[in-house]
Amino acid sequence: MKIKSVSDLAARRKVGLQKIQPGKPRIAVGLATCGIAVGGKRVYERLKEIIDKNGLDITLTTVGCIGYCKEEPLVNITIPGKPLVILHKVSETDAEEIIRTVSNGEVPYDKALCQVPAWDHVKGCTLDYGKGFDRIPLYADIPFFRHQKKVILRDAGLINPEDIDEYIAIGGYTAAMKALTGMDPEAIIKEVEKSGLRGRGGAGFPTGLKWRITRDAKADKKYIICNADEGDPGAYMNRNEMESDPHMLIEGLIIGAFAMGAAEGLIYIRAEYPLAIKRLKLAIEQAWEYGILGKDIFGTGFVFDIGIATGAGAFVCGESTALVASIEGRTGRPHPRPPRLTDIGGGLFGYPTDLNNVETWCNVPVIISNGSDWYQAIGAKGNTGTKVFSLVGKVDRVGLVEVPLGTTLNTIVSDIGNGGANNKKVKAVQTGGPSGGCIPFRLFDTPVDFESLNKAGSIMGSGGIVVMDEDTDMVDIARYFINFATGESCGKCVPCREGLKHSLLLLNRIMAKKGTKKDIETLALLSDTIVATSLCGLGQTAPNPVLTTLAYFREEYDALVKP
Amino acid sequence: MTNGEVSSTVAPAKQVTVTINGKKYEAGEGEILLAVALREKIAIPHLCYEASLDPYGACRLCMVEVVRHGKREMVTSCTTRAAEGLEVVTDGPEVVKHRSILFELYLAEAPKSEVIKAMAERYGVTKTRFLKKVDTTDSLGNKCVLCGLCVRACNELMGAGAIGFINRGPYTVVNTPYFGATRDCLGCGACVKVCPTDAIGMEDIKDERVMKSWSNTRVPLVQCSCCGTYFAPKALAATILARVTTSLKEEIARRCPECRGKLIAKKEILAKTGGAR
Repeated sequence: MKIKSVSDLAARRKVGLQKIQPGKPRIAVGLATCGIAVGGKRVYERLKEIIDKNGLDITLTTVGCIGYCKEEPLVNITIPGKPLVILHKVSETDAEEIIRTVSNGEVPYDKALCQVPAWDHVKGCTLDYGKGFDRIPLYADIPFFRHQKKVILRDAGLINPEDIDEYIAIGGYTAAMKALTGMDPEAIIKEVEKSGLRGRGGAGFPTGLKWRITRDAKADKKYIICNADEGDPGAYMNRNEMESDPHMLIEGLIIGAFAMGAAEGLIYIRAEYPLAIKRLKLAIEQAWEYGILGKDIFGTGFVFDIGIATGAGAFVCGESTALVASIEGRTGRPHPRPPRLTDIGGGLFGYPTDLNNVETWCNVPVIISNGSDWYQAIGAKGNTGTKVFSLVGKVDRVGLVEVPLGTTLNTIVSDIGNGGANNKKVKAVQTGGPSGGCIPFRLFDTPVDFESLNKAGSIMGSGGIVVMDEDTDMVDIARYFINFATGESCGKCVPCREGLKHSLLLLNRIMAKKGTKKDIETLALLSDTIVATSLCGLGQTAPNPVLTTLAYFREEYDALVKP
Repeated sequence: MTNGEVSSTVAPAKQVTVTINGKKYEAGEGEILLAVALREKIAIPHLCYEASLDPYGACRLCMVEVVRHGKREMVTSCTTRAAEGLEVVTDGPEVVKHRSILFELYLAEAPKSEVIKAMAERYGVTKTRFLKKVDTTDSLGNKCVLCGLCVRACNELMGAGAIGFINRGPYTVVNTPYFGATRDCLGCGACVKVCPTDAIGMEDIKDERVMKSWSNTRVPLVQCSCCGTYFAPKALAATILARVTTSLKEEIARRCPECRGKLIAKKEILAKTGGAR
C-alpha cells in the first residue's frame, strides 16, 4: 500500500492506533540492546510461552527503551481504559504473576515503577490511556523523570520500533507530509534556521546554515549523511534513538533531503550496533513499502532513498572527512579542511554533502510539525531545544536523560541522577566523551550548553556524562582517556600520534610514582601543543581530560610525584 | 594532465599581494602560501610538503599565524592559499613555542635522522624531553617521521601502490603488504627521492635493485647491450617504454644512458657526413 495523501496517512494512523491501544491488554517488553542485556528477551519469551500455552487474548509486543537503565528490564502494561503502567526490574520469574494480574484487569503493584495516564508524543499527538491504579505513582512524580523533557525520546519505550504503523499512529510522517506537500525547500530551511537548532554531534554548528550552504552548492548531485558512528566510551544516546524510534531518523532525513535537493542519503553507523542496523534496515524497507521512500514519495514525485554504511571500528571515522573516506572505501584518515564536505570536491565522491548527527536529524520532524517558535521556547537563548545525555559512571540513577539545554549539571547529576552511587560523594563529571574535560563538583551550577561547557574547559560532545565520586583517582581518569585517544589516533599528524603517546608515557610514569614535578610541566606544555597543532578534532580535543584535571585537581598530580 | 596543458588552458592566476612578516609580496591567487614563502626565501620548516603532490598537512611544522582583525590564528601554510590582503607571521611566539615541542617530538621519533637533528637545531632545539624511540628491527633505521611522502609518491605519482601505511596511531609504519617482497614495486626510487629524512635504503647489487627498507623487495635491472652495466629496473623501463613513441625506442630499451648518447651521436654524424669518413 502506498501512502499518497493526508487521508491515506490518516487511514494508516487508525490501523496503528489499533496496535498501540488494541482494546485488550497489551504487554510490551523494552527490548533495546540494554534491555536485552539484562534479560528482557528471557522475560519476553517466558511471557509468550504462557500466553501461547493458555491461548490468552493478550497482545505481546516489543518496545524500545524509555531510558531508565537502572530499573531495567522494563515492561509496559496497557489495560483498556486504564493508565499505562511501567513495571521495573522484571525477571522471567515474574511472568506468571504478570499474566495472572493482567488477565484480571490488574497489574502487579509491587513491580510497578509508575503509571502514565496520557503521553505527549510531541508532534501534536497525545495518547490518552485512562485513569486508575491510584496506588501507583505518576510518571511525572518519579524524580528520574520529573526534570526531563522528552522531545527526541518522545516515542522511545512506548512504541514498537519494528512497526511503521505504530510510528504513524503517534503522528509519525505527518511532518514529512507537511514538508513535501505544503512547504518549499526555502521555507523548510528558514524554519530550521529560525529554530536555532545546533549540531548535536558535539560542535554545535547551526544546522540550518549547514543546510543552506549545501543547498546553495552548485552541483548536479548532493548527498546527505547521518553520522551514527557513536564511539565515545559511556555514550549511547544515538544507539537508543535508532533502536527505539528508527522512523523519526528516517523522517528527519526525508525532510532534509527535500530541503537540500538530495536524492540519496546514507546512515554511517558503527558495526558494533547490530540491533540498530537491523531496525533501521527494517524501517527503511517498511518506508519503501508505504511509498515514504522511493521514486514517488507521497505521490509528489520526490525521489529519495537511504542506504546504510557500516563502520569498521575506528573512532576517528566519526570525524567528517575520515567518515567520508571510510564510506568511499579508503582508510579512515582525516584530511585538512577546506575543502569542507559541503564544498564541491569535498563531500562524498566529490559531491557536496551534508553531514548531521542522529540526534540533529531527529529534531527536524518536531521543528517542522510544531514550528520554530515552539522549538525556540525550549532551552536557552542560543542553545535551543533539548539534548539527550547518557548519565553513567558512579551515579545512583544511571540512564538516558533528556533535558532542555541550559539545565545545570546539578539538576542532571543530583536531582535526576540522585548523586553518587552507594551514597558516595560526587567529585566531578566528565562530559563530551574522551575529548571532553572533567568538571569539578564546585562548578556544578554550570548550565549545560555549548558555550558554558567550553568555558569550563570541557565540551558538549555527543552527550556522555560520566560521574566520578570521591574514590575516583583523577590522574587515572586522565590516563584512561589518553590511552583511549592514543589507540584511536589515526596516526597521520605528529602532535596526535606522537604527542598523545608521550602524554600516556608521562602519565604512566606519574601514576607509577616515578615522575617529577618537571614531568607534570612537560605534560601540560605538550597538551597545549597537541591542542594547538593537531590536524583534526580528535587531536585538538584529546588532551582535554589532562588539561582539566590539571586545572581542577592539580593536588592529585602533586601527591604522586617527587618534589 | 601535464603541467604544459594546465598553463595553456587555464588563464594565468590573478596576482594578489600578501604580507609575510610585515613585508609585502606578489603571489598568484590561490597559490600555496608555503610555496610563496619558499620562493621568496622565507624559511618555514616543513617535512610533508612536495610540490608535485596535493597538500597533506600532516607534519604540522609549517604552521604560521594568520592575522585577521587583529587576532592571530595558527594554520598550516601548506594548506593556506594566497588571497588578497592575507597577512601572516611565520615566527610569532605561539608558533615558536609549539614548533619547538613538535621538534622535540620529532627528535624522539626519529633519533637517528641527521636531517631532523640539523633542522631542529636551526630552530634552536637540540634536546628532547621525550623518550627516544629505539627499534633495532626498524627497516627505516629510526629515521622515519611518517610524513607519508613515499607512500603518496608511490601511489599517486607512480601508480604502483607497492607500499602503504600499516596499523594506525603510534603503531603506524610504512612498508609493503604483510611485510613481504612485493611485485608491485617498479624500483623507480621515487620514495627514496622524496623522503625528507633519508630514511629509505635502496642499493643496486649486480643485476638487481634491492629496496632494503621495503622488505628487501628485489627488482631485476636491465643490462646494457653495449657495455654490460645494469642501468634501469625492468619494471620501470617497461612502464616508461609503453608511453614512448619515438624511433629511438629500441636504443632506450637496450642501452644505458651513456652508451645511448654515444650511439645517437654516432648516428647523427653518419647522417650528416653521408657515411663518409
